[in-house]
Amino acid sequence: MSQAEGRVITSAFILLFYLVFYGFLTAMFTLTMWVMLQTVSDHTPKYQDRLATPGLMIRPKTENLDVIVNVSDTESWDQHVQKLNKFLEPYNDSIQAQKNDVCRPGRYYEQPDNGVLNYPKRACQFNRTQLGDCSGIGDPTHYGYSTGQPCVFIKMNRVINFYAGANQSMNVTCVGKRDEDAENLGSFVMFPANGNIDLMYFPYYGKKFHVNYTQPLVAVKFLNVTPNVEVNVECRINAANIATDDERDKFAGRVAFKLRINKT
Amino acid sequence: MAQKTPEIYSVELSGTEDVGKTDTGDGKEKYRGLKDKRLELKKNHQKEELKKEVDLEDHKLSIKELERKYGTNIVTGLSSTQAAELLARNGPNALTPPKETPEIVKFLKQMVGGFSILLWIGAILCWIAYGIQYFNDKSSSLDSVYLGCVLALVVILTGIFAYYQEAKSTNIMASFSKMIPQQALVIRDSEKKTIPADIRLLSTQGCKVDNSSLTGESEPQSRSCEFTHDNPLETKNIGFYSTTCLEGTATGMVINTGDRTIIGQIASLASGVGHEKTPIAIEIEHFVHIVAGVAVSIGILFFIIAVSMKYYVLDSIIFLIGIIVANVPEGLLATVTVTLSLTAKRMAKKNCLVKNLEAVETLGSTSIICSDKTGTLTQNRMTVAHLWFDNQIFVADTSEDHSNQVFDQSSGTWASLSKIITLCNRAEFRPGQESVPIMKKVVVGDASETALLKFSEVILGDVMEIRKRNRKVAEIPFNSTNKFQLSIHETDDPSDKRFLMVMKGAPERVLEKCSTIMVNGQEQPLDDSTAEAFHTAYMELGGLGERVLGFCHLYLPADKFPETYSFDVDTVNFPTSNLCFVGLLSMIDPPRSTVPDAVTKCRSAGIKVIMVTGDHPITAKAIAKSVGIISANSETVEDIAKRLNIPVEQVSKRDAKAAVVTGMELKDMSPEQLDELLTDYSEIVFARTSPQQKLIIVEGCQRQDAVVAVTGDGVNDSPALKKADIGIAMGIAGSDAAKNAADMVLLDDNFASIVTGVEEGRLIFDNLKKTIAYTLTKNIAELCPFLIYIIAGLPLPIGTITILFIDLGTDIIPSIALAYEKAESDIMNRKPRHKKKDRLVNAPLAIYSYLHIGLMQALGAFVVYFTVYAQEGFRPSALINLRVEWEKDSVNDLEDSYGQEWTQYQRKYLEWTGYTAFFVGIMIQQIADLIIRKTRRNSIFQQGLFRNKVIWVGIASQIIIALILSYGLGSVSALNFTMLRPQYWFVAVPHAILIWVYDEVRKLFIRLYPGSWWDKNMYY
Repeated sequence: MSQAEGRVITSAFILLFYLVFYGFLTAMFTLTMWVMLQTVSDHTPKYQDRLATPGLMIRPKTENLDVIVNVSDTESWDQHVQKLNKFLEPYNDSIQAQKNDVCRPGRYYEQPDNGVLNYPKRACQFNRTQLGDCSGIGDPTHYGYSTGQPCVFIKMNRVINFYAGANQSMNVTCVGKRDEDAENLGSFVMFPANGNIDLMYFPYYGKKFHVNYTQPLVAVKFLNVTPNVEVNVECRINAANIATDDERDKFAGRVAFKLRINKT
Repeated sequence: MAQKTPEIYSVELSGTEDVGKTDTGDGKEKYRGLKDKRLELKKNHQKEELKKEVDLEDHKLSIKELERKYGTNIVTGLSSTQAAELLARNGPNALTPPKETPEIVKFLKQMVGGFSILLWIGAILCWIAYGIQYFNDKSSSLDSVYLGCVLALVVILTGIFAYYQEAKSTNIMASFSKMIPQQALVIRDSEKKTIPADIRLLSTQGCKVDNSSLTGESEPQSRSCEFTHDNPLETKNIGFYSTTCLEGTATGMVINTGDRTIIGQIASLASGVGHEKTPIAIEIEHFVHIVAGVAVSIGILFFIIAVSMKYYVLDSIIFLIGIIVANVPEGLLATVTVTLSLTAKRMAKKNCLVKNLEAVETLGSTSIICSDKTGTLTQNRMTVAHLWFDNQIFVADTSEDHSNQVFDQSSGTWASLSKIITLCNRAEFRPGQESVPIMKKVVVGDASETALLKFSEVILGDVMEIRKRNRKVAEIPFNSTNKFQLSIHETDDPSDKRFLMVMKGAPERVLEKCSTIMVNGQEQPLDDSTAEAFHTAYMELGGLGERVLGFCHLYLPADKFPETYSFDVDTVNFPTSNLCFVGLLSMIDPPRSTVPDAVTKCRSAGIKVIMVTGDHPITAKAIAKSVGIISANSETVEDIAKRLNIPVEQVSKRDAKAAVVTGMELKDMSPEQLDELLTDYSEIVFARTSPQQKLIIVEGCQRQDAVVAVTGDGVNDSPALKKADIGIAMGIAGSDAAKNAADMVLLDDNFASIVTGVEEGRLIFDNLKKTIAYTLTKNIAELCPFLIYIIAGLPLPIGTITILFIDLGTDIIPSIALAYEKAESDIMNRKPRHKKKDRLVNAPLAIYSYLHIGLMQALGAFVVYFTVYAQEGFRPSALINLRVEWEKDSVNDLEDSYGQEWTQYQRKYLEWTGYTAFFVGIMIQQIADLIIRKTRRNSIFQQGLFRNKVIWVGIASQIIIALILSYGLGSVSALNFTMLRPQYWFVAVPHAILIWVYDEVRKLFIRLYPGSWWDKNMYY
């Protein structure tokens, strides 16, 4: 056996070794990951300690949480409208009626398993028409964006098995962040009335179980925002079991966004 | 006023004149312009010149010429104004102390050395990144500024630590240095006087000087006014600065002062010989290059990948920083310093005082030791080794305490011989040493007489008492023309009124004066056969390299020499022939009892021991044989020639293993011939060499790629000590110049201490390997998260700050703990490492650490990370490519695998929990890594899991630091740690066990199949 052959054979050995070794490592990793995943249920997460306080968010979703509308420039708000159309499509009354139940307002819609897996769970109807002027149905103003009276939708983050409001009614309120913001903000209307969120949409059972769950929304239509000024708006939920004063988490039970209506 | 004294020195040597008085003239020495051009030469030139021996011409000049040259008069001296002028021009008569590096330079070196520069780059990139961010968006977060500050802080802190550590060890060394017995250059009220400058002698009277500190010659050299040799070091009419005058008086003229004296020149030249980089410094540099190379190339590769994956350049810069930080073992260099200083302390306890920390390891890689003979291999004192009387050679005990004198002492001859030894001796114990063991007592007298005095004191008891009882009535001291010493005594037998005349001296001269010989206590006529026996014995003892003395006596008849007889030593009114020969006694400076063992150890450790001595070849060879430097069965070319009775030229050089080379032969050798000599013979003795030749020998050895250790004590040795890879100075006999030039000081002057030093040095090299392997492993586990983050878009598994907490927190004590690991096998049974082939960080070490254990660790840590995310709601599949949405501040309703929605802060907190989990995963597996690194070949169970307690201290420290970080500081958000659920601490345990098992398998195969491809690729 020549030296070169010996080297080739050694290299082959080493290659083979690495194939086996890395194969083994991959198998080992896969195995431990598989074992680990056995400890995790498909339906509910093992821990939810981080989600004690659900966050609030707005639609339309923008890069820096700012809703800027140039009334004369269709382009500037058309993307918001497109997004909202898409976002609100599942809320169409026809779809809701077809998939979801009519629930009794003012109480939680609980569907316990009672020993037998109760699957899939039913969801309550949230009809687009409940959003009134902001429903966008047959609306030539495109959620008010074309007239400078935009609708912003507030939603609360889904958290599995969270009984929001602790059996008491809750609602969303919006204010200007500072005094000048409040002045510039002007008046607004909320749909449903008072920014109420009904208890029947809770608890949430997770996307595997709660297949057609429809998240409740609160629409805010800003009627006379001072144009050409940036207005800082803060909306928060008033619910017995949702703290809205977390120093570190600026979105715990509240949402802050900027509103600017540009008119020429 | 005519100054009479300044340049005329009268060194009174037997008197008790205060040296301070002699010193008063020091500053006013006269100038000689001879050496200036030399000093201006470039340094490499200087070295060459030094090898060519020092040149000085004053010794060749006559007194008249000297007077003219220096513009002085040997009777009146210089005028005071002249003297002051010369002082102003030449400076005082003192040596310039060696230059010290300023502290601030040392400190700055620590700040930019090693990995520091990489981290500085990281910090600056951070600030640049923030600058760009700030330019685009005034409200951007300060995170990257903080990170930059943290990185800078890390560099500064580790720099301060390393500086402090070095300063501390230097201080320890300094305090040890105070312990080093300083040689007393001036002994007032006694016989020695230091010569205050280089002096051309003008008149002498029996003057003898001890030049040992300059030339290494231990024999006193006589001085006279005649020019006897071209070489200024050999000529007799020059007295050198700092040498001591032992006896006689001399007057001379100062020719050189201060730095311009021969010794001053050598000292300044020695500091000019460039200090080579230590092997460990080279190794660490090599290692830094490897790691920095990996860091920079992976960093840049992924920077390019990131940019081409359409990441923002700014983000890509942040990735680059992360990759650099993950790759750089920030704490490692500090750890290495600590490890080395621990070993240095350990060695100091064993009498090896290391001046330069890095020299600790150099000793371990030593492959050739050039050792002095006198004092290092030998006891540095003449000792009676053999006796010959009654036609028989007796062996005396030459061990350090002399206690075991077993030769037959019943013969009447011995009684006579012992009397001569006792009486014909001028040496005396210095008073006030009653409690000191005999061998340690200080004696006034020359080396031979001291040996005889101690020898007789051990055997006969109180010698001074015996001398008192045998009162001395007359004496002729030894001189070089007579070559004998004689004294006449009353006897201690009251009934015997005869005088006893005793004589000792060169055997052949003593025998000439004898007509009878004593055998078994009886006087017999000295016939041819007894004379023949005498010659055989004389030759035999001489052949052993021993100094032989003959002893004879004569009872003077009472009728001719009555009690009142007045002996006159000048007219010699007593017989000095027809004496009775009693015996021979031979002396040698015997080897230290521990040396043969140490030489054997060196040999089995693959270290070649070369003896370099100024002594006579026969003596050198004899000592070399007795300590094993020339082993019992090897022969020199001359031995073979003698045995086969053929001329030396006909002997095949291949047959000889040993060689004895004299300085004269060495002088005529070309470098090639020297190389040949050094490679051809395994056992070499250089005899009659000058200290300058030592430098040539050292360079010859270094040409063989050997790491050379050199021992030395004289000032002239200092260039060789500097040139050597590790210079070893003698703590007791060494001159200050030698100690300054050396890297290490042997506090007990004992060769055997070098061997223990070698052992420690080898151990630390092995243990440093383990430390580095341990430290490098987790780099992959720290690096992979970044790579996966960039490529697969997972939320960042571990943050930069967290990585720093591993590198500078949990990992520090364990990596130091590995320095306490015991050797796996007999490290003194293997060859010294080849400085170019056996690297500290070799390919198998890097590959095994990075691609085997490191990868396993990364996988284990990822399991912990995925577990945390999955149990909180994000299954692994959901994490892929989640990065962009995950990191957006505006996204506050990010959906997890269960349809729940997360705000940005909730995600951030989960991300920190992920960091903590990944951190704990690495930490747990580093425990396994620490345990497997205890050995490289043996099973952990062979090594003993609990033998090194410090390892367990390290493990405990890891766990405690991690617990504190998670549970104690979990609420400090800047540190990015959170309180981790207890069960997550155990998720990585299976991987940790796997690491241990895998490494045991690796070691098993290495032990089972030595030399196989497995062994070659898996043993680091």
